[in-house]
Amino acid sequence: MPIRLRSLPLAPLLTAIPAFVVLFGFGMVAPDVLTTGNLWNIATQTSYLAIFTLGQTIVLLTAGLDLSIGMAVSYTSVVAALALVNVAAPGLAILAYLAAGVGLGLVIGAVNGFFVAIVGINPFIVTLGTYNILFALSSTVTGGFPVSDFPPLTSQILVDASVLAIPIPIVISAIVMAVVGFLLRRTVFGRSLYLIGSNPSMATAAGIRVRLHTLGAYLLCSGLGTFGGLLLSARAGSGEPNIGGSLALQTVAAAVIGGARLRGGKGGVLSALLGAFFITVLSNGMNLARIDGYIQQLCIGAIIILALLAEQISQNAERSS
Amino acid sequence: MRSARACLASLLGSGGMIVLLIVLTAAGTALVQPRFFNALNIINILRNAAILSVASMGQMLVMVAGGFDLSVGVIVALASVQTALLSGIIAGWMPDAPILALILATLLTMVTGALIGSVNGAFVSVFRLSPFMVTLAMSSVVMGVTFYVTKGIPIYGLPDAFMNGIGRGMIGRCPVVVVIAVAIVAAVIILQRATTLGRHIYAVGSSPHAARVSGVRVRPLLIGVYAVSGAAAAIAGILLTARIGSGQSTLGGTLALETIAASVVGGVSLLGGTGRAERVMLGALFLSLVANALNLLRIDSKYQTLVLGVVLIAAVCIESLSGVRRRHD
Repeated sequence: MPIRLRSLPLAPLLTAIPAFVVLFGFGMVAPDVLTTGNLWNIATQTSYLAIFTLGQTIVLLTAGLDLSIGMAVSYTSVVAALALVNVAAPGLAILAYLAAGVGLGLVIGAVNGFFVAIVGINPFIVTLGTYNILFALSSTVTGGFPVSDFPPLTSQILVDASVLAIPIPIVISAIVMAVVGFLLRRTVFGRSLYLIGSNPSMATAAGIRVRLHTLGAYLLCSGLGTFGGLLLSARAGSGEPNIGGSLALQTVAAAVIGGARLRGGKGGVLSALLGAFFITVLSNGMNLARIDGYIQQLCIGAIIILALLAEQISQNAERSS
Repeated sequence: MRSARACLASLLGSGGMIVLLIVLTAAGTALVQPRFFNALNIINILRNAAILSVASMGQMLVMVAGGFDLSVGVIVALASVQTALLSGIIAGWMPDAPILALILATLLTMVTGALIGSVNGAFVSVFRLSPFMVTLAMSSVVMGVTFYVTKGIPIYGLPDAFMNGIGRGMIGRCPVVVVIAVAIVAAVIILQRATTLGRHIYAVGSSPHAARVSGVRVRPLLIGVYAVSGAAAAIAGILLTARIGSGQSTLGGTLALETIAASVVGGVSLLGGTGRAERVMLGALFLSLVANALNLLRIDSKYQTLVLGVVLIAAVCIESLSGVRRRHD
């Protein structure tokens, strides 16, 4: 009988092993990888990607997908930056920044969710459509130029602050993980998402309002994605129309590597975090080992296919045992 | 309500909707901008529609078989770069026969497209991976290779005969590109209507299980269909390269979206099992008309992707509301 890795309680933690192998592997090639400074850097970058990946994981739970997440991040980054630089009082400006960004993100999520959950259209096609709509909007709203001149208070609060010597992005990300983890594990809404993904007809039979919950998943995905994007823009110090370019691929790769499934019903906070850690370690290592950016892109594609293959094989093993 | 729905369904079913859309768009654009009916402009639209039709034929066959191919755009870019590079290299080996070198280069490019497609098809059919994710990941791989080879710099030095003969060439009053596209569409129509293979593609798309039980060899068929899609994208890339006269790694950015939109506007179901080549060609003509209209009205070209996205979602909504779509689950 084959070993059923996924049924072990510690199964998601196995994802951490290849990540550490990659980390120490690159550490031998490029000595800069294992310095304290770079390890903090990896932790910070993981905390951003984990927020995006968690959003993607939530729609994957319902057997959906959000290809538009990167463009939603780009568009809201620019629009929120416009709000930030146009409000005079710095404190108020940061509130306007967050409110405008997340508010717009929720609108985008509502549009995706409406077409997927209410009209009943294939999520790939809906989000491929909104991807291109948002791409056009984000590259035209400011003529394709970044919105810079963020007030210094933005980076003081959202980037450079620290709690007990831990950088604020990591702290914020940890809070987000805890809240969403509670939502997924301990609330009817969260539990319903798992059932909708793994067995939609049973979810309907159990009286779950499938459409409403699925809509909620898309709202949450875009909300989380744009919130993460706002943190990232604050770090860049400007609203960037191409900040989210490859996020769709990265988040799906991270989610699937962490243990989420395209067919729905699997994954959570831990899988998102570990998957994000793996992708971050890999791209950080490739950067420091001076591997060409285009080769990195090739690697991400190959890794997604490998992760999908592994998912399929472990699923077959589960079924046959 | 029911009669409105039935009316919509019959319009969609007969393909009348797409003809109506084409006539309305053409008439509307001509009213606002009389230059629309300029012979040069019409030829321009037809050339664009021809190249989009070729790539859409592959996308349509994959969708009829129940899949998607997001890698058509990057295969177009790779084909453009590969044709330009190879024709230079092969011409170096046989300086006396530049035309033969060009033909060899284009054939090898088509083989590459077919190979990439068959790898997609193998992952989809043998390992049963999601076609959307496989072809998306493949796009990342192929794009990485294309940009690594070229560093994003255009490749010049294609023989003039290539541009003058194919890209800008005319047979009588008809562009060569259009003649090639019509020939390819005609071949696909024959495949779909008159061959067992064509009927098997519909069968696999409607119900893979039923097809398998009734003796269709599903795996080789799917690999073949994706290979055809890759080859069609490569041909589109070669034709596009002949038009612009250089190998460009940035071509095809929105082509995956355009071919899916052309297919859906042309009545191809997202669930597989339905779709006809001639209507998809009309879908491609419609999208090219819309793009041309936006150009003539001097609307920022970046908004074209916005319009494409809206057209795609609208077309899928109409399909879904009219009840043409069948449920398999």
